[in-house]
Amino acid sequence: MSIEIQSIAKHFGAFTALDNVNLKVETGELLALLGPSGCGKTTLLRIIAGLETPDAGQIHFHGEDTTDRHVRERQVGFVFQHYALFRHMTVFENVAFGLRVRPKHTRPSDKEIKRRVHELLNLVQLDWLADRYPAQLSGGQRQRIALARALAVEPKVLLLDEPFGALDTKVRKELRRWLKRLHEEVNVTSVFVTHDQEEALEVADRVVVMNKGRIEQVGTPEQVYDTPATPFVYQFLGDVNLFHSRVHGSFTQVGEHPIPNDSAVAYVRPHDIEILREPNQQTLVAAVDHVRTIGSTVRLELRLENGDPVEAELSRDAFALNRYTSGERVYIRPRTARVFAEDFTI
Amino acid sequence: MAELTNPVPDAALRLPMQRVDHPSAPSRAGMMQFKQASVLPGFNLALGYTVVYLSLIVLLPLSALVLKTTSLSWSAFWQVVTADQVMAAYRLTFGASLLAAVINLFAGLLVAWVLVRYEFVGKRLIDALVDLPFALPTAVAGIALTTLYAPNGLIGEWLVPLGIQVAFKPLGIVVALTFIGLPFVVRTVQPVLQDLEAELEEAAACLGASRWQTFRKVIFPATVPALLTGFTLAFARAVGEYGSVIFIAGNIPFESEIVPLLIIGKLEQYDYAGATAIATVMLVISFGLIFLINLIQWWHTRRHGMRK
Repeated sequence: MSIEIQSIAKHFGAFTALDNVNLKVETGELLALLGPSGCGKTTLLRIIAGLETPDAGQIHFHGEDTTDRHVRERQVGFVFQHYALFRHMTVFENVAFGLRVRPKHTRPSDKEIKRRVHELLNLVQLDWLADRYPAQLSGGQRQRIALARALAVEPKVLLLDEPFGALDTKVRKELRRWLKRLHEEVNVTSVFVTHDQEEALEVADRVVVMNKGRIEQVGTPEQVYDTPATPFVYQFLGDVNLFHSRVHGSFTQVGEHPIPNDSAVAYVRPHDIEILREPNQQTLVAAVDHVRTIGSTVRLELRLENGDPVEAELSRDAFALNRYTSGERVYIRPRTARVFAEDFTI
Repeated sequence: MAELTNPVPDAALRLPMQRVDHPSAPSRAGMMQFKQASVLPGFNLALGYTVVYLSLIVLLPLSALVLKTTSLSWSAFWQVVTADQVMAAYRLTFGASLLAAVINLFAGLLVAWVLVRYEFVGKRLIDALVDLPFALPTAVAGIALTTLYAPNGLIGEWLVPLGIQVAFKPLGIVVALTFIGLPFVVRTVQPVLQDLEAELEEAAACLGASRWQTFRKVIFPATVPALLTGFTLAFARAVGEYGSVIFIAGNIPFESEIVPLLIIGKLEQYDYAGATAIATVMLVISFGLIFLINLIQWWHTRRHGMRK
């Protein structure tokens, strides 16, 4: 089931939540909508689900216009950030809900419902919790139950709104991998919303980076990380250092590429900054301010002559070869950079 | 009134589990049976104050009531409280109160629903109107209702030709008790409906539930504890109601005479022991019923786990 989003616009009063958004979700893929809060990603998801109506534009499910169809008839599975489990029902009844509310002639028998629910609970590896109430479960368990409940109605599309947003880091990481595996198993077209770039890059087949109601870039995780289309994407997907050609001259010219004009900005990721002990024509002088070891990497906070801070990241092995100390004078050079014209403001 | 919807059993359920994890808990288990470990200070002081206060304000007068009753011999007591006129009054008081509370259960849920779910002109005014039966002197309410429902009253003159007589009949008592009980249900259910996340309804809709199924299976069960509380309050208030009822009831023995009126009647005849005997029976039945409802509520909360 593919989803086609055509020129969708949505306003809340004077605020533009979505501005002419076009997007195609391919059958069976796991797509991430990534962006800062307020960028319109959740609104887009809710419009796909039918929980919100767009001011303009159409939604097509597999070529069929569903813009005006009620949520009930869209056959979407929706997973909420705060689970939205029915507190007065057991885990079993929560998962069975979608089957029990069907009209009589399409409702499966009690035996069939029982079989399906246990099958789903096994899929999310929580069959042993069937008789508990949601209040007795941990956050991670609740979200897995919410997912099982959404899958019970055999949705054509699975939509997840910040599914791991309310969980702690460790559980979040486990669930990410688990979701990826689960998707490979059930292979239903899925869209999930997140503001966590790591989550999007790790889980999704394709990432849609959004900002201020528009799509900035659509691509595989590698594409959006390695070749960001806009300065915004560059900044949103990880830390970045900015160098202005006006100030830093030839430094910003990496390799053969000439600088487009004299007011360009070069974006360099911290792990793309090379630290040297000897100068050459492309280096800038910097002083080491702080050295911090963060897990497997070492982060150096450097300061240029004009006072601008620069961040560099080394692996522990690379750091062990040189052992820079704070206060030391070094020369830095970008291994690779992306240059954008300066008129962009953030 | 939100606190009436019972957060207490939650804490009681959770604490023992926490203590099991605590390494020093087993050694102290013996002395900790009565008092649960808690970070909140002042348990002894607070409990002491609560007991003293409740004793002075509630238990002392009630004990005096029972004590006064004991001046009657057992057979005399039995004769007073089982007299035909008294039995009829019990039936009427508890029956009408129960009926009124049931009516309020539905009407109150509806009013709370409208006040929470819809935006309309005059909503604030209606919201304020709900509290009026709380504030109005009950005698005023009684006189107003009687004027309306009397055979020559504004509503009565239309109902009587249809064969429906409200004033001076048991039906009038139900009307009066419904009037005074309404705010209890509305004010207990309203905050619960307000706190119900819209996401629950959205989730139900995504799963294919119709509006009616969503209400019946998702919203209504969530309001059950609050409805029970509101029902209990409305019922308790109705059982003890005097002022508004005596005007509209007509007070005909065996037909429309409520227990509080009987008690007043005995007092006016200086039959203090007789009055307290009836009052004691009333007390025991009321306490039993309210305790039963509380048990149901406690069982319900326990069964469905803690809130949240």
